[in-house]
Amino acid sequence: MKATAWLRRGSPFVWVSGGLLAFALLMITTLVGYIAIKGLGFYWPKPLVELTTTTGPVLGEVTGHEAATAEDPERIQIRTANRDILGQDFRWVPVSEIQARTTPPEALVIERLENGTFFGSLWRITQDGKVLAEGPGAPEEARRRLAEAKALQRRIQSMEKDEVGSLNQKLEDLRLRRRKLEAKGEPTAQAEAAEADLHNRFQHLQEELEAFRAQSNGLQVTLRTVDGQEKELSLAGVIRIIPVNTIGLPRKVSVYLARLWEFVWDDPRESNTEGGVFPAIFGTVMMVMLMSIMVVPLGVMAALYLREYAKDGLAVRLVRVAVNNLAGVPSIVFGVFGLGFFVYTLGGSIDALFFPEKLPTPTFGTGGILWASLTLALLTVPVVIVATEEAIASVPRSLREASLALGATKWQTIRQVVLPGAMPGILTGLILAMARGAGEVAPLMLTGVVKLAPSLPLDAQAPFLHLDRKFMHLGFHIYDVGFQSPNSEAAKPMVFMTTLLLLGIVVALNIFALRLRRKLRARMGGSTF
Amino acid sequence: MSSTATRNLAKRVDRFMAALITGGGLLIILAVLGILFFIAKEALPLFFPARTQTLAIVNLEPGKGLWADDSAKTVMIPDPAKGVRVHLAQDGRLLDTLTSGPTLPWKLSTSPDSRGHLAVVGADGRLHAGELKWAKPPGAQDPSQWTPEVEWTSGVSLPVAPSELLDVRSLEAGGLMGGKVLRVLARNPTGLIWGEAPAEGTEPLQWKALPAPADALALLSPDGQHAYIGTRDARVQDWALAGEASLSTEQTFTEPVTALGFALGGSSLLVGGEKGSIWAYQQVRDEQDTKALQPFHRFLSLDGPVRGFQHGLRDKRFLAWGPTGAGILHLTSERQLMRITGDRIEGAALSARGDHILLQDGNRVRPFILDAPHPEISWKTLWGRVHYEGYKEADHTWQSTGGGDDFEPKLSLLPLLFGTLKGTFYALLFAVPIAILGALYTSQFATPGLKSRIKPTIEIMAALPSVVLGFLAGLVMAPLFEQAAVHVLVFPLAAVLLGLAILPIWSKFPASWRRIWGEGREALWMIPLLLGALALTYLLAPSIEKAFMGGNYRTWLQEAWGVRYDQRNSLVVGFAMGFAVIPIIFTISEDALSSVPRSLTSASLACGASPWQTAWRVVLPTGSPGIFSAVMVGVGRAIGETMIVLMATGNTPILDWGPFNGMRTLSANIAVEIPEAPHHGTLYRILFLAALLLFILTFSLNTIAELVRQHLRKKYESY
Repeated sequence: MKATAWLRRGSPFVWVSGGLLAFALLMITTLVGYIAIKGLGFYWPKPLVELTTTTGPVLGEVTGHEAATAEDPERIQIRTANRDILGQDFRWVPVSEIQARTTPPEALVIERLENGTFFGSLWRITQDGKVLAEGPGAPEEARRRLAEAKALQRRIQSMEKDEVGSLNQKLEDLRLRRRKLEAKGEPTAQAEAAEADLHNRFQHLQEELEAFRAQSNGLQVTLRTVDGQEKELSLAGVIRIIPVNTIGLPRKVSVYLARLWEFVWDDPRESNTEGGVFPAIFGTVMMVMLMSIMVVPLGVMAALYLREYAKDGLAVRLVRVAVNNLAGVPSIVFGVFGLGFFVYTLGGSIDALFFPEKLPTPTFGTGGILWASLTLALLTVPVVIVATEEAIASVPRSLREASLALGATKWQTIRQVVLPGAMPGILTGLILAMARGAGEVAPLMLTGVVKLAPSLPLDAQAPFLHLDRKFMHLGFHIYDVGFQSPNSEAAKPMVFMTTLLLLGIVVALNIFALRLRRKLRARMGGSTF
Repeated sequence: MSSTATRNLAKRVDRFMAALITGGGLLIILAVLGILFFIAKEALPLFFPARTQTLAIVNLEPGKGLWADDSAKTVMIPDPAKGVRVHLAQDGRLLDTLTSGPTLPWKLSTSPDSRGHLAVVGADGRLHAGELKWAKPPGAQDPSQWTPEVEWTSGVSLPVAPSELLDVRSLEAGGLMGGKVLRVLARNPTGLIWGEAPAEGTEPLQWKALPAPADALALLSPDGQHAYIGTRDARVQDWALAGEASLSTEQTFTEPVTALGFALGGSSLLVGGEKGSIWAYQQVRDEQDTKALQPFHRFLSLDGPVRGFQHGLRDKRFLAWGPTGAGILHLTSERQLMRITGDRIEGAALSARGDHILLQDGNRVRPFILDAPHPEISWKTLWGRVHYEGYKEADHTWQSTGGGDDFEPKLSLLPLLFGTLKGTFYALLFAVPIAILGALYTSQFATPGLKSRIKPTIEIMAALPSVVLGFLAGLVMAPLFEQAAVHVLVFPLAAVLLGLAILPIWSKFPASWRRIWGEGREALWMIPLLLGALALTYLLAPSIEKAFMGGNYRTWLQEAWGVRYDQRNSLVVGFAMGFAVIPIIFTISEDALSSVPRSLTSASLACGASPWQTAWRVVLPTGSPGIFSAVMVGVGRAIGETMIVLMATGNTPILDWGPFNGMRTLSANIAVEIPEAPHHGTLYRILFLAALLLFILTFSLNTIAELVRQHLRKKYESY
């Protein structure tokens, strides 16, 4: 009896609804925590374990453990690295096969520019064929020379990128100028002479580079895997050497920080599965900034019109509902529009008018950062319009009337009174728009994002800002590395780190905007009359 | 500057800004709304009827058929008396006459097909296969810059000349000699005959009889291994030509057969009858694995008998003609693109692109232009069942691209719309109870302190980019669910069980203690309970799997239900997309429920109703329009979600509601296919149509939601 009354009064249902809410809260914390642990944990130097098994020794980091199932016995997953020798990064070892388990002090983690990380030992270091050190002293010697080799490598890279790059650019410009002249039927001798001169300089530069490369390749190290296979490698191809089983906590922290630094500031390597994501960060930030530059004036203008100039009536109300609902239109639809209108229609016309000499290679008639940011601006303009309208509406009537009574014109009132009062609200809208823009991927996939952009959309070559260039994006990086990469298991930590970064940016922007809005509402709440 | 001048300047600036903002604001709003119109403008040409244009008639003496080059600027007419005549299509001027090859005058000849292939028996009784073509220098538009060519084989000697040459095919590296071989189908006064001989050899061709009526029509299959025969007594037969000819299958037709032909690719046999009926047949294997001819498309009839067919080389359109008329039809959509009437049409040619038609009508050639860029699209091909080549029956299929030039695009939007709705359904199934009950709890029961924790957490949830959720769904949850599918299903049970077990213990606590620590903090107490349930699940699930499913749920599913478990399935998508939808539904519902006037709840409580009774019977019904609008907005979000479904569904376009397989949604389909779709091609426009559909769906859902919400707001304004 008591139970039915209790049921009828319904307190168990309160518990059930509380439980459902708790489930949602648990899920979200688990999710964010999982990403954070998976991403941040990967860069911590983990000890290398040597397993003596019945099929030979195995050296690597223990990354997983699986209890026995119907198909498989109990086994552990080892990250063995040495992709170039073993053909894969991971290996499952049945526990029954393991005879001994040690952490050898001489084991090294050697991060390389190519073929991923190497686990094993460094046996010998030579310069131009002359042995500098061999045996136990070799790693120490190699570490001492690493800085020097890297400096040389950096010099070579900067030469390749800047000097050779700018020469290539000049050659391309000349080629196009010649084509233009030819099309007009004018003499091209001058352009040809300039081209020959450039070719000459190009030749010189190449020779200089060759010399540097030979010097850089002179320093060779010999690596040895745990089962005795040797591998020769130029020291310039080594990023760092970590005797991971012997270093203490401070060294571990410094390695960890160095790896994080590399993640944020370096270019990607090994088809995006290693190295850093700097171009993607740069692309995301730049795209969001371009979008903001476009979205603020447009959104504010539309909101000002709707609030201050348009006659309030059915039409304006309908427009307001429509603009509001545009925020709910799927982003892929905006992407389709961006592709059809910006890329093909607008871009195609721009190419036909201004860049006919480059056709059929499109300049603006293909995806690029300008079209992507314009598409995102359209996608986010409803957010700004709604926020601005709300902010304008919350500026007290008394203030405007005071301004008008003092003889100010309508525009003066708007500029001096309304807009300053509404500014925090507009900012909130902008930040929300930026957060939405930074997290969107689907429309970008159609309007200009690529998995690997050869150059940034902003650089030292005139005209500095290249709006027609394709760009990289953190969100797309996640999709691409996680789903299109041939070696997706090895790429996973990279994806988790990128996810964490993107999540951090977007969530921080959102929280900031919402805090701002809440504060504003509290401040303005009582003052509308 | 005087003050009047300043004021004038200010006024002028004011007027200027008013104009600028009004103009600019209107322009922006128009531009934003213009998205819909642009997308519609790109999609609608799919449904435009084909446009035709009649060009000036040219007087040209008939020959044995005619062949147009792919721009239809010239006509080649094989003339048994003079050789191949080359004319300018515009005015009929004779450009050249090619007399090489078979000795003139020719005894027999077939009409050229759309590739310009024909066969001729010369005056010396030798059979030659030939190909008409043009040598065009790159970029040359003017026929005077081109050179006409005919390439002939050196000729096979025929021991007995037939009375009519029906069809000739060259067999690639097959047949008797291991080289190129000509297979010939012909008629003599006693019946049909066939034979084969090396195309370039000296060996004479030996005729074999084909036991079919002497007045029957016949055609060789593209590989030359079959002969299709249509008879005057209305039968369509398929003969296998290996060694001796043998009848493999037969179908009756509606009327005497007067024309046979193929659509592009050669797997659809076109049959035309005396009264103008046109059908397409294809080879299928029935249950006993024997081959059978299956009629699978029927087209609009011609007014008189059908005499011949010719197909284009770009898509599945074909020309059917008879003495009194001609039509351009499309195999897949069964659409009639063009209709022409004539007096005594004796031959017809369709250009390679299918956009030019030439009719030999008596001594005149009548040229036409057909502009039909999307002939394969009709309302029926988009939404209905269509019988595609190689399929046993009509079905809804999406397969936009495939290998080969003769691929038949299968463009049914239905599986994609179905996938969209399926994904939305599973997402809402997961999200709606959590979001609405969570909102009810937050608005009615939670303490202010707890409330101020819940809301930011939900805000973070709302901020999660969908690519992040998609990545987690595809690479973390999908493998996890696959390993622990039983656990996922056992977990809710375990939670309920644990709750029931703990209940008596909880009621033992003193009431005052329960009131202070329990009320308003139920959600917090549920967290350890849920964690406990998780532990319980891990304890129970393996034994449940062992006891009820024989130790492996996948084999159990397969054997007991006939269901295959795909790693990326609806459960995963529902979970991940539900995750994206929960905060939206939660926020709007919570707003609606919080704005239910206090006076109502106070009255209910004062009358002795418990808090839950008040929440369930008073607050929820009062706030239901707001909840409805919340769900609508959530549906809108789920319908358009792209990245999650792209990464977590496997993207297979199937029509199956099952929770253990995937789907392909409209949005993911756009993302996958539009980068490869040629600008303004059929696929491109279809994807725009899909986008239009998404736009309209979400926009109307949001509008309904917004109207309901405004109504609600007005209703409670007075409280």
